[in-house]
Amino acid sequence: MNTKVNFLISLTIIFALSLGACAPQPTPPPPVQPMVTEAPPSTVETQAPLEQAPTQTEAPQEEVKITVIFPKHEADLTGAFEARVREFEKQTGIKVDLIQSDWDSIADRVIPEMATGGSAYDVVEFDNGWVAEWCGAGWTTPLNDFMPAGYTEGMIPGLVDLFTCPDGKVHGLVWNNDTRFFYYNAQKLSEAGIEAPPKTWDEFVQQSLAAKEKGVVDYGMAPFWNQEWSLGNEFHFWTYAFGGEIVDDQACFLFNKDPNTLAALEFMIESLKNGVSDPAGLTYDQAAAQDVFLKGKTLFLPQGIAGLLAYANDPAVSNVVNQIKVGIVPGVQEGQSTALTLPEAYAIPANSAHKAEAWTFIEFMTSKETNIALAREIGLLPIWMDLYTDPELTSLYPHWADFFKQLATARGLSTLTWYGDFVDVATAEVHRALAGEQTAQQALDAIAAGLAEFECTP
Amino acid sequence: MKKWRFLILIYFLNAVIILWTVAPYLWLIISSLSYKIDLLTVPLQWIPRRLTLENYISLFVDRGSTSGNVSLFLASLRNSVIVAFSSTLLAMSLGTLAAYALARLRFPANNLILLLMMGGQMLPPIAIVIPLYVLLRSVKLLDTHIGLILVYQSFILPLVVWLLRSYFASIPSELEDAARIDGSSYVGALFRIVLPLSAPGLVSVAVFAFIASWNEYLYAFIYTNIAAKTLPVLIGEFSTKLGLEYLRIAAAGVLASLPPVLLAFIFQRYIVQGLTAGAVKG
Amino acid sequence: MKALLTKVLNTSRYLGLIITLPSLIAIFGILLIPFVNSFSLSLYQKDLSRPHLDAFVGIGNYIKLLQDARYLNSFRITLTFSLISVFFELILGVGIALVLHQRYKGVGIARGLIILPWAMPSIVNAAMWKWIYNADYGALNAFLHQLGIIDQYQIWLANPKAALALIILANVWKETPFTAILVLAALQSIPAELYEAAKVDGASAWQRFFTITLRLILPVVMVAGLLQTIWGFQTFELAYIITGGGPFSSTELITLRIYAQTFRSLRFGYGAAMAYFTSLVLLIPAVAYIRAAYRAIVEY
Repeated sequence: MNTKVNFLISLTIIFALSLGACAPQPTPPPPVQPMVTEAPPSTVETQAPLEQAPTQTEAPQEEVKITVIFPKHEADLTGAFEARVREFEKQTGIKVDLIQSDWDSIADRVIPEMATGGSAYDVVEFDNGWVAEWCGAGWTTPLNDFMPAGYTEGMIPGLVDLFTCPDGKVHGLVWNNDTRFFYYNAQKLSEAGIEAPPKTWDEFVQQSLAAKEKGVVDYGMAPFWNQEWSLGNEFHFWTYAFGGEIVDDQACFLFNKDPNTLAALEFMIESLKNGVSDPAGLTYDQAAAQDVFLKGKTLFLPQGIAGLLAYANDPAVSNVVNQIKVGIVPGVQEGQSTALTLPEAYAIPANSAHKAEAWTFIEFMTSKETNIALAREIGLLPIWMDLYTDPELTSLYPHWADFFKQLATARGLSTLTWYGDFVDVATAEVHRALAGEQTAQQALDAIAAGLAEFECTP
Repeated sequence: MKKWRFLILIYFLNAVIILWTVAPYLWLIISSLSYKIDLLTVPLQWIPRRLTLENYISLFVDRGSTSGNVSLFLASLRNSVIVAFSSTLLAMSLGTLAAYALARLRFPANNLILLLMMGGQMLPPIAIVIPLYVLLRSVKLLDTHIGLILVYQSFILPLVVWLLRSYFASIPSELEDAARIDGSSYVGALFRIVLPLSAPGLVSVAVFAFIASWNEYLYAFIYTNIAAKTLPVLIGEFSTKLGLEYLRIAAAGVLASLPPVLLAFIFQRYIVQGLTAGAVKG
Repeated sequence: MKALLTKVLNTSRYLGLIITLPSLIAIFGILLIPFVNSFSLSLYQKDLSRPHLDAFVGIGNYIKLLQDARYLNSFRITLTFSLISVFFELILGVGIALVLHQRYKGVGIARGLIILPWAMPSIVNAAMWKWIYNADYGALNAFLHQLGIIDQYQIWLANPKAALALIILANVWKETPFTAILVLAALQSIPAELYEAAKVDGASAWQRFFTITLRLILPVVMVAGLLQTIWGFQTFELAYIITGGGPFSSTELITLRIYAQTFRSLRFGYGAAMAYFTSLVLLIPAVAYIRAAYRAIVEY
């Protein structure tokens, strides 16, 4: 009796396993077409669209509801974005189910849904680090199908290019022009007897050490070099700032061959030893680095968010009210400057059932009108170039003139279908080098070795 | 050793234990009542010079939304309570029966079942999260209480069964044998003898099951979105693109740990010695 | 009919299966399909961002795992983390339970408070310890500095051994109450008569402790130990939030690798293989343990 029951149980398990082995994988379907399944359809695999809602009409007569998911903007403390969404609802009659939370949560929600070919969202967050991957996976709808021709002229070109897939079509329109800028503490700089912010990295080091010696600050900067995703951003920033390259447009490795990239990494490592960088930066995330700067312990914040001044001038969170100014990212030589931009866009999933309405939403939220309203309320950086010379906005934000100069030189992260792997390997090796466990050259070689299978596969 | 010496030792150890347990939590409470800028001072002020309730207020009044008092915290609290209570109830009901069977009754595949239950625990949940997501989506149980309660059985039930089984096993079986000889059925013996005897164990396991469900993050995060979002998920959202919002997390964390702690306080009185006094001869 | 029902309810064999069945259905009804799905996924190369490479690779992913230095490193680290954590959790847990088992004024408060660490959501626990371990402003540095134990603030989390130790500390702090309360409940269930009888027979306090107390709480301790070990292997937030896996991967637990491969690199096949391989390796000692434990429990 004992053996019989055991036998039956084993049989069931084997049967279930074979069922699983024959079942098709949860492949996200190529855009538009339904999934093809051969084996017994287990409920897991088939992706029959759950609703047959009308997709063509955007007339306000039938109540259409779209689901929109994107993170809260860093500077959006008053719900300004949500206000615009409600305005959209009023103007068009399309109802919006808005899901807003933090970046990590949004990423972890969006990815399973997209990966399993779901249609729960009509407008999704599209981070520039994901572009190559998503383009490769075919998860988004080309917006050119909906955009009038020439729609994107007048937008900052770099932002449009960053969200263009290899098929030449635009798949995302930017809602968060998250370019990072070089900030410095003007008051502490003058206390240290320095007149102007640094234009070269050598000056950066000199000024940091001078100020530190005078006791004006603890360190030149507190970097955010914890072993996490943002270290990948830092790797890009410093490489660009030194005139280096990571990969070429065929995704062939340049980082282990480019002397500028090596120089950048060596600079980072050296800064932890010579007193320019706070060694605790090895364990810091971006918020911690910002905290230290706002506490007045450091002189420079090479990568600060666009809305930093709002925080810096708030006595509840800052000790450096009215001391912070915007500068230009230094270069190896005077006149060189590159900044990092980490924009986020709206995209329409390939399986959305309300694409036309989704486009209407995107059009509204990225329009000049919305840009102006949000700029007024939370200092949102516009995506339309002529808004940087708009008299009203420039009087509100005089430092935008500085921003605009920097925007012209802003670069995004590498577009690689294997960007996730890049970050995975690079952060570990770079962190090891920063901690002094290997040299910069060894780190770059180790990265190349770890990513060897991806070389030259864009 | 002499009685008073023993007592001093016990009181000392008791103090150490309480200190070890409570100190970090006290720091959490202090942090939640402070301004961020004050916490960044060196040397650290253990008792801050000024206190603020802003971190707590921001939980109940969501200032980041123009729709006014959107009490996300209370909504999540409600969801957590519903899910945790229901999961515990269900798990204890089913689990007590199974644990008794595995502890006392001889039946085929006893060992195998134990092994299977434990085996299910060994796979990191992150591996099945996505297939389970698709499954729940297809039966429309995403973002529902029931969906989460069912999913939670997958790790709470084995916990309950395993723990209760060892409690039942550690109770001498003479009592039940006596009862069976007197004509009671297995189930009767279970209800009339085993359960009362293992009350301390039952209570502890129930409290654990509740807390495990209350604090669970991964499944709750992926399977709930708006309607059934639980507390840990809400707390996990207190971060920006730059990093965690410590103080808000601290405030929410303090509040979120209160119900479980309250439960533990209430029930620790029921873990009382002497329930079996006089029951076993010799 | 009634006779049949009575017969079934009274035969341990049938009854056992019947009343165990609902639990089994509840557990495996949810888990079976995802398990099977996930396992079959692990037999494929499935990188979502490069769908043109999808292929059946059989055990190819598993072979790749054995050569994946980073995975093997994380396995070693997770093993260290889990075993050391459990070691301390058991010892401290039993010790705490023994103290709280005594009758003294104020024991009720202690018994209620003890669950505090376990009652905290793990995210809050991780964030709290991260803040405590902060290099420039953390409470740990402040505490040690003000006591004079260190003369300068240390960057704890940048030191690989210290970082691992601190994560273990955070884990032990959180998990010990679980063992403590379980053992306490077991202690409370030991009939006082057993001690009386032993005293009458002339056994000393130590002898009573070893032959009665330890023996009777052993099953619970072993179960708690097994569960803690398994949970140790599933720890995620603690490492993700406090160190992100650093410094240079010295606190990189397996769950972090699975997360990175599945959610960030979108390699679903490989990620699934990683998870399955880990649990398979865990299963072997677990089976041995269960058989040994089973014998120990039944034999007394």
